[in-house]
Amino acid sequence: MNAAADTAGGTPILRAESVTKRFSGLVSVDQVSFEMRKNEILGLIGPNGAGKTTLVNMISGTLRPNEGALYFEGQPIDALAPYKRAHLGICRTFQVMKPFPGMSVLENVTVGALFGRDGGETAMAKARESARDWLDFTGLSHRIDARADSLGGPDRKRLEFAKALAMGPKLLLLDEVMAGLNSVEVEEVIELIKKMRERGVTILVIEHVIKAIRSLSDRVLVLHHGQKIAEGDPAAVLEDPQVVEAYLGRRRH
Amino acid sequence: MKSLPYVIALVVVVLLVFVPWVASDVMMQFAIDALLLAVLAQAWNILGGFTGYVSFGNSVFYGLGTYGTAIAMAQYQLPFWVGLVLGVILAVVCALLIGFPILRLRGPYFAIATLGLSAAMGAIVSNMPIAGSNIGLVLPLVRADTMFYELSLGLLVVCTLTVAWISRSRFGMGLVAIREDEDAAGTMGVNTTTFKITALVLSAFFTALAGGIHAYWISFIDPASAFDPTLNVRMVIMAVFGGPGTVFGPLVGSFILSTIYEYLASSISTAAALLFGLVIVLAVIFMPRGLANMVGGVRAHGPRFFLQNIRENRL
Repeated sequence: MNAAADTAGGTPILRAESVTKRFSGLVSVDQVSFEMRKNEILGLIGPNGAGKTTLVNMISGTLRPNEGALYFEGQPIDALAPYKRAHLGICRTFQVMKPFPGMSVLENVTVGALFGRDGGETAMAKARESARDWLDFTGLSHRIDARADSLGGPDRKRLEFAKALAMGPKLLLLDEVMAGLNSVEVEEVIELIKKMRERGVTILVIEHVIKAIRSLSDRVLVLHHGQKIAEGDPAAVLEDPQVVEAYLGRRRH
Repeated sequence: MKSLPYVIALVVVVLLVFVPWVASDVMMQFAIDALLLAVLAQAWNILGGFTGYVSFGNSVFYGLGTYGTAIAMAQYQLPFWVGLVLGVILAVVCALLIGFPILRLRGPYFAIATLGLSAAMGAIVSNMPIAGSNIGLVLPLVRADTMFYELSLGLLVVCTLTVAWISRSRFGMGLVAIREDEDAAGTMGVNTTTFKITALVLSAFFTALAGGIHAYWISFIDPASAFDPTLNVRMVIMAVFGGPGTVFGPLVGSFILSTIYEYLASSISTAAALLFGLVIVLAVIFMPRGLANMVGGVRAHGPRFFLQNIRENRL
């Protein structure tokens, strides 16, 4: 299946060419190269501080790489401001949820519909309608008029999803959306991510919940101290001794 | 149901149009002043209320509008409307020039920078011979309170309609998104720079027009009155008291405070000076979203409400 996707993919939707990010001496992401094919789910894992979020920040545009380059659908994107990348269809969620606190749930999602891909929908009524649809899709339609900051944990995640989806993303970057959820809620989110993929979205999933990575990912990429230490089929990668060592430490003899 | 405030507003505006035929001279002075202050509060609301950028630099635009009109009329004997246009051009150009650097600052830093700006602008103008240096300029005297009144009322209506449009438009949603979380707004596709500058320019536009009308009406201006920082404080307090980020809050706030101020100034003038200070303290503590808090039925008291308000005002 992987081989088929390789040849049929054409231009990768995202290509990173030895991307490096330094924070005054600390190399957070070190010469990482990878590709994402259209409509695949790539799992990005690694211990805390491995550089996963930094990588996502560089793709979404809040950080710029010191070296290397990123290409979206073949076009270099490093010079583009975050909002321009959103217009291209790159869209992310935040590890620390960032709803607009003073707005209602519906308004939050409407912002996504108004400003997303290609500059978004210009008519307010249509944007609101599509926001309602996405709230249905994520199962949040019962809280439509609630203030965003009154939502509890799982509902906040749903809101974050609905906002991202309303933007009409081609590439969705999910930064630890399952953290803090119980196993039932994790199952729900897994289903949600699968539903998104069925709609043709390409998804990068950062996650510590290995069960989720295993059941979702077509491929897995492992970062450790900013370096790519493994990439490929989830089962194989998760068995890789180097990966096990990164997570669990060296086995004593 | 949502259109009820607009119906009330329409009736009020129609009634206000006829005020000059019944009001005394003193009443007219007060009314023109109150209308212009309401324009200032409403214009401030675009930037401070919707976009969340607390500006103490709006008096710069007011001063430029004032001086544009005064220079055109006093130095070049041009008609009033040319003066207004000149004032608006000065203010808008100024907004564009300062907008790019200054709107990169956030929170208190933005407020401090704008405060410095208005002080600097006053100093610059008082050294320009064309602006009458620090002596000021005398404009041609006219007795046309009815015209000034109707002009001010018209300006307030247009300004409020603009804000009403903003409150239900894509542009307004972008501004509110910036207010709530600028970084998140950016990653969601809001072109934050363009949106902020547009808000600043709109704010400058209406503020300068109010300044121009005021200059011709008062017929004498000097740097101290044109770039008066307390005027800016009043705009902020009126908007915050009424409810920043709402369509009618700043209007209600400014009319109520203008009335109280006028009453106090004529009876106990020292108390009038205290008024705005007291109002800001009470408003911040008890109604962080302005009078809208009271009308909206959000009634709560006790220490929890107090703490919540302090959090929301980020004190």
